[in-house]
Amino acid sequence: MNIYAAIEIAVFFVILLALVKPLGLYMARVYRGTPCGLNQVLLPVERLIYRLSGVRPDSEMTWQRYAVAMLLFNLIGLLAVYGIQRAQGWLPLNPQHLGPVSPDLALNTAVSFASNTNWQAYSGESTLSYLSQMLGLTVQNFLSAATGMAVLVAFIRGLTRQKVAEIGNFWVDVTRSTLYILLPLSFVLAIALVSQGVVQSFGPAVDITTVTASTDAEGKPVQTQQIPQGPAASQIAIKQLGTNGGGFFGVNSAHPLENPTPLSNFLQVLAILLIPAALCYTFGDLVGDTRQGWTLLASMLLVFVPLLALGLWAESVGNPQLADLGVDANASLQQSGGNLEGKEVRFGVGASVLWSAATTAASNGSVNAMHDSFTPLGGLVPMLLMQLGEVIFGGVGSGLYGLLIFAIVAVFIAGLMVGRTPEYLGKKIEAFEMKMAALVILIPPTIVLAGTAFAVSFDAGRAAVTNPGPHGFSQILYALSSAGNNNGSAFAGLGVNNVFYNSLLAIAMFGSRFWLIIPVLAIAGSLARKKQVPISAGTLPTHTPLFVVLLAGIVVLVGALTFVPALALGPIAEHLQLLSDSAP
Amino acid sequence: MLANLRASLWLLGLTVLLCCVAYPAVLLVVGQTVFRSNAEGDLIRDRDGKVVGARLIAQPFTEDQYFHPRPSAVSYNGAASGASNWGANNYLLRDRVARTLGPIVKYRGGPNKGQLVAPDIEKWFQQDRYQDNSGIVAQWASAHSTLATNWVKADPLNAAFVITWQEGHSDDVAQWKKDNPSNPEPKPEDLAVAFFTSFSKENPGKFPSGVTPEGSTDKKSEPVSEGSDIQSIFFDMWRQEHPDADLEQIPGDMVMASGSGLDPHITLANATYQLDRVAAKWAETSKGDVATVRNEIQKLLKSNARAPLGGLAGVPIVNVLEINLALKDRYSERPLGDK
Repeated sequence: MNIYAAIEIAVFFVILLALVKPLGLYMARVYRGTPCGLNQVLLPVERLIYRLSGVRPDSEMTWQRYAVAMLLFNLIGLLAVYGIQRAQGWLPLNPQHLGPVSPDLALNTAVSFASNTNWQAYSGESTLSYLSQMLGLTVQNFLSAATGMAVLVAFIRGLTRQKVAEIGNFWVDVTRSTLYILLPLSFVLAIALVSQGVVQSFGPAVDITTVTASTDAEGKPVQTQQIPQGPAASQIAIKQLGTNGGGFFGVNSAHPLENPTPLSNFLQVLAILLIPAALCYTFGDLVGDTRQGWTLLASMLLVFVPLLALGLWAESVGNPQLADLGVDANASLQQSGGNLEGKEVRFGVGASVLWSAATTAASNGSVNAMHDSFTPLGGLVPMLLMQLGEVIFGGVGSGLYGLLIFAIVAVFIAGLMVGRTPEYLGKKIEAFEMKMAALVILIPPTIVLAGTAFAVSFDAGRAAVTNPGPHGFSQILYALSSAGNNNGSAFAGLGVNNVFYNSLLAIAMFGSRFWLIIPVLAIAGSLARKKQVPISAGTLPTHTPLFVVLLAGIVVLVGALTFVPALALGPIAEHLQLLSDSAP
Repeated sequence: MLANLRASLWLLGLTVLLCCVAYPAVLLVVGQTVFRSNAEGDLIRDRDGKVVGARLIAQPFTEDQYFHPRPSAVSYNGAASGASNWGANNYLLRDRVARTLGPIVKYRGGPNKGQLVAPDIEKWFQQDRYQDNSGIVAQWASAHSTLATNWVKADPLNAAFVITWQEGHSDDVAQWKKDNPSNPEPKPEDLAVAFFTSFSKENPGKFPSGVTPEGSTDKKSEPVSEGSDIQSIFFDMWRQEHPDADLEQIPGDMVMASGSGLDPHITLANATYQLDRVAAKWAETSKGDVATVRNEIQKLLKSNARAPLGGLAGVPIVNVLEINLALKDRYSERPLGDK
């Protein structure tokens, strides 16, 4: 890493933090239903949507009805994506004449996009028609993100309301999230991306004759090249903003047509963390104390920044195996240095590692460099950020409700220490909330560890590995960590497009999304019924530096206790091996 | 429940209309009017209007007179982007890097400063001793059986060579079958290690390589004691035995493959490293003075190098296709000196 990368990362944090308050305030107004600026244009559209759908926006739901509406809506969306992929051969907007997607792959992709994971077992340019990408995937990019935001808002209502059973109207929350937040932001970002050279067209791929002849992967002579096309910019904008991460092309944002310039890269990586960070402010505003929101954001940064630094260090040092041979890994004003395998030179090490940390801290999962080819510790960082439960920024909405569950656990533990009934924002935390919180915290690690154990126990699971030694195990652990926390990034060498992994990972993605939302909504319903207790001398303040450290500490502790043994078998063993192999 | 179903279906339908029809369509219009060439992949046309490439997609260049792009795990296939996805500790990665370096790397210091390492690799190889044991090729094959197997699969000539060997070495093949009872009908690549072990014994200091004998147009595999195969495949083993040799440092992006396999850029450091080769070749074809041509191309490189965000966000990089088209334009169609 050189001085350029340091400047870029500093600028990144400054701009991100500067945008938190304005966007957070805007979103708070949207969810309150107060004028936000865009309502003059969009209010008629919103009303029309309610009228056509038969939704009465003022009729509110109990947590059970909220959960049923959410599940049904996501199930129907999931089936629609499955159907479109299976039928794409007969549908329009398929200039490459791609055939139907196989059943297991179509199911995996449908679950993947409906659960806001966007795990990609397929390669966009060679598997999916433009129609499948647009109708199937783009729509879920919006709606799965909106679902996460809706559940968050319902949870916040549970914290702020007293002695009521209702936590809001799911249809209204989803509609507002999409119409006022995701769609306008995507539009602005997409235009910026097109200006940088991201493709946005509906024509077929362009065949060209290259300047010189060469040989293809099979050793046959070729002098043609196919330049892919498609409506990429519109999908990329929402995949970044909605923490979706499903790329238009196979290699995601490493592809020069998906992410052509350092500026497009900067905007895309900013978009990953933008909404999750701003939602912290929205939370503070909605609970009437913005310090509560800043506290949560500070906890996230307290975990994020050190892990980012570790990743930057590991990748800048580079690969000692190659340094032996005379490869220059030193950063200078001429080259970014470090480990460049799987990275693009227009990004270099700094912007690639920043992205890898942002995309796994948030449950985005898009990549601009291949995590599989990172150094062992460089690859440990994204893996650990996912394993922490996707609460350091996390998915839009889902990250923050996840962190709020950890906050409940934090006040519970603090309460145990001093022997008082714990409370959070004036709500008593009792046995029911703790049972549900335990479910939310335990389900993803269970899925990840049991899934990994299952996969390494079968030939079909082990056969997919493409790297020898501990890195092979890391590939499997990474895949389950990604699916089991709805991230979607991969150690992409793992051969996952087969019935075994398509099914296993579909189950993991489905479970870690919807089995968490239900207990979260249950807590919201239970809290909404309680009355607010006044602050007393025994109340643990939850807006102090002490609480920032306590919360971050508990997130790290739970993650570390759960995953250190598995990490020791994968990236840590690999790191030690790399050091000993290249020792003189 | 019915109300939920109705709301679900309508909301899904309306989202499709808004987010999947209206939103991309408006963007399409903006893209096609305001940023027309960008939105279609930034195609480059020659003087006759024929498309010769896309600015953002790397093309393969292997000839000496052109700058070479970064290695691609997908052979620059625009329809299937991809990366090696090899871990840092995967020997395949180290091997690929070593093979690229062997034929081109030079001494940085010492008595041979500035000279290629390759002739020394060949001389060392011909002595056929590695780590105090004879049989370099046999040791290479048994240490890296995947590489030996890949060698057999890489070229039909290699497979044919193994098949010929099989016919004259029924004892070795029988022994292999005895050791591997689960595979009674081995394919040539299965026998790779046994083949190299026996080859190494019979041809010390040699490696089977594709050559075109004089007076013939057909390439065939023959045991050779020099050439690019030996320089590339055995550079790593040579290096292990010569850890103190002071070698030139190679810019990382020259040997490490990109994430997309289509990275259109190289660093200026990489381009500068390639400058001597490129200049020498153009000077030869255009019958010009090497130093003059080198200076010209260096200027061309400087004016083509772009530092992202005006130098704020990264190191200067060069678009390989653009610089090569500029070279072609400058030297292949006009005589030197004609500006």
